[in-house]
Amino acid sequence: MEVLRDSRGWTHVELVLSGGAPWGFTLKGGREHREPLLVTKVEEGCKAAVAGVLIGDEIVSINAVPLTGYRQEAISLVKRSHNALTLVVRRFASLPIFPCNAKLF
Amino acid sequence: TTIRLNIMTLLSKKYLDIPKMLDAEDIVNTPKPDERAIMTYVSCFYHAFAGAEQAETAANRICKVLGVNQENEKLMEDYERLASELLEWIRRTTPWLENRVPEKTMSEMRKKLEDFRDYRRLHKPPKVQEKCQLEISFNTLQTKLRISNRPSFMPSEGKMVSDIASAWQGLEQAEKGYEEWLLTEIRRLERLDHLAEKFRQKATTHETWASGKEQILSQKDYDSASLSEIRALLRKHEAFESDLAAHQDRVEQIAAIAQELNELDYHDVAAVNQRCQSICDLWDHLGTLTQKRREALERTEKLLETVDQLFLEFAKRSAPFNNWMEGAMEDLQDMFIVHTIEEVQSLTAAHEQFKATLPEADSERQAILGIQNEVQKIYQNYGIRGNVTNPYSTISTEEIVVKWDKVKTLVPQRDGALQEELARQHANERLRRQFAAQANLIGPWIQTRMEEIARCALEMGGTLEDQMTQLKQYEHVIIAYKPNVDKLEGDHQLIQESLIFDNKHTNYTMEHIRVGWELLLTTIARTINEIETQILIRDAKGISQEQMHEFRSSFKHFDRKKNGVMDTDDFRACLISMGYDLGEVEFARIMMLVDPSATGVVSFQSFIDFMTRETADTDTADQVVASFRILATDKPYILADELRRELPPDQADYCIMRMPPYSGPGTVAGALDYTAFSTALYGESDL
Repeated sequence: MEVLRDSRGWTHVELVLSGGAPWGFTLKGGREHREPLLVTKVEEGCKAAVAGVLIGDEIVSINAVPLTGYRQEAISLVKRSHNALTLVVRRFASLPIFPCNAKLF
Repeated sequence: TTIRLNIMTLLSKKYLDIPKMLDAEDIVNTPKPDERAIMTYVSCFYHAFAGAEQAETAANRICKVLGVNQENEKLMEDYERLASELLEWIRRTTPWLENRVPEKTMSEMRKKLEDFRDYRRLHKPPKVQEKCQLEISFNTLQTKLRISNRPSFMPSEGKMVSDIASAWQGLEQAEKGYEEWLLTEIRRLERLDHLAEKFRQKATTHETWASGKEQILSQKDYDSASLSEIRALLRKHEAFESDLAAHQDRVEQIAAIAQELNELDYHDVAAVNQRCQSICDLWDHLGTLTQKRREALERTEKLLETVDQLFLEFAKRSAPFNNWMEGAMEDLQDMFIVHTIEEVQSLTAAHEQFKATLPEADSERQAILGIQNEVQKIYQNYGIRGNVTNPYSTISTEEIVVKWDKVKTLVPQRDGALQEELARQHANERLRRQFAAQANLIGPWIQTRMEEIARCALEMGGTLEDQMTQLKQYEHVIIAYKPNVDKLEGDHQLIQESLIFDNKHTNYTMEHIRVGWELLLTTIARTINEIETQILIRDAKGISQEQMHEFRSSFKHFDRKKNGVMDTDDFRACLISMGYDLGEVEFARIMMLVDPSATGVVSFQSFIDFMTRETADTDTADQVVASFRILATDKPYILADELRRELPPDQADYCIMRMPPYSGPGTVAGALDYTAFSTALYGESDL
């Protein structure tokens, strides 16, 4: 997991999900609604939870494709993945969080 | 001798009856004649004569007496005669000796001396003897007469011994003086000859030296000479003067010689005097000419020195003056660019200061030109020919005149330019003031409207509709105000066209006003929109007026900074007051929901959204999914004709277009995923 700090304490975190759909997280918002693209639900024990996705994470890129912000785009990108899904999320980092099974560089 | 002896013996025999006792040949031929024989013979003669003596005594006595008388008379006659002769000779000779008329030449005098010498050696001694004889004769005669008892002799008058003696004395006197005189004269003539020759020599030398000097001294070569040439001429003249001074004693010598020649009574003294006079005249003339030339040279030197000083003065003063004029010409034509009235005024003040110095400059100019005039005058008055150009300066009077005229024409030109500029600056100032007056009205007006709108937006009492009405009124007023802004734009354009870059009469720039105006327009529109949205929400969520009022009060209460928004701390406090027990993570989540754009503040809209979501009863995605499931007869997917069957055609098409294909277990062709569609509708997608 790569941790990049920007101003205001927000960090970018790279997460790798494996195992295939359903990943177990819910996306809300998007540019269509003039809102950021956010994770609002993470099912307990799902593949997203295992990878370290948290509620409130803003998706920034999917499979190394930087997002324009439209939810439809994000959904299409996620649906194209088979066994592995790489997400870069933006997260408020007042508390540094190290999910126990995250890859460490 | 033989013959004479023979004759003697014969005669004695004849006349005296003396026998011939001697033989002539014997006496002659014998070396030592017999003495005794000769004595014997001779005594015969004695006896002959003695014998005769007595015979004649008586006759002799008479004869003697007569003879004595005859003798005496003869002596007297002789005396008289001799005395006359002597006196005559003396009378003749004395004037000759007394003649002191000098001869002219030395040779003549020498002749005279020779004559005298002849006289003394040849002519006089016999006369001395004569005189002596005369005295002797006289004495003898007197004695004889006395002896013979005759009366003494009395010479005739004038022939007395005393006369002779005195005449002789006179002669001797004259003689003495004569010799002295002769010698003196000869010395004089010798000296005169010497002096005359000396005079000639010196005069000639001097005349040679003096010839040509007159011409040289009369030269007017200083008329057209330069200062250094004059000085050289003066040096040469000094040398000449000392030469002249050296010749002074020579001239004096010549004059002294001439003087002596005069004193010594030179025979040709007239010529000498004439020559001396001409020499002296020429000398005086040379002296005068020398003096005159010296004066002329000195005067010319002084004049040329004065001129030189004037040239120096000219050079000294004309150079800075020329520089000043060149500087003035440049300054007067100096281009200026100004932006304020003050700048123009300071330029004008500087220009006035410059103008104030003009009279002084003019007098300096006159003084400088005056110097040149003075030089001209000097040249004219004193007839100096030669170069009138100034060796110290390359600046000519013509140049000065031309430049001065140029300066004089440039001064009013600059006056004009400055005045024009001043007028322009005044016009600019008017524009500035005009703009500022407007802007100072519009700016605050906009500000007031913004405040009004903000106040209205925060207003808690009254309905949303009341707010809306108020806001619409404001909008109306704002729109009606637009012409003022347009007018200001017009003024601004004028200002920009006039190249005015600043305006101290107002802090508002056109951009400020524009931005403010645009902000006002957007603010009123957004605020109206917000109120509309709130109305919508209220109507959609069914929030009553009281609820709305409550929400508003809370928001207002927790908006500590009173800026229409809550920051994170405010919101946290608000939530806590409402009974939420929040951990950091949960609060972060909530913040994410209410402030998705991470602005750090919570708007009233977002607050309302959050509050109503938590409390309102709305359609959720689940409920819609449940509805679709019913239509899909509990299948996890739905088919297109099912949709067409149940929904109006356009909504069915909408769903068919938007629903993603179902890829879950049990899928068939044409299966559509209504779950993903529903969650997507509500802004959620489950992945």
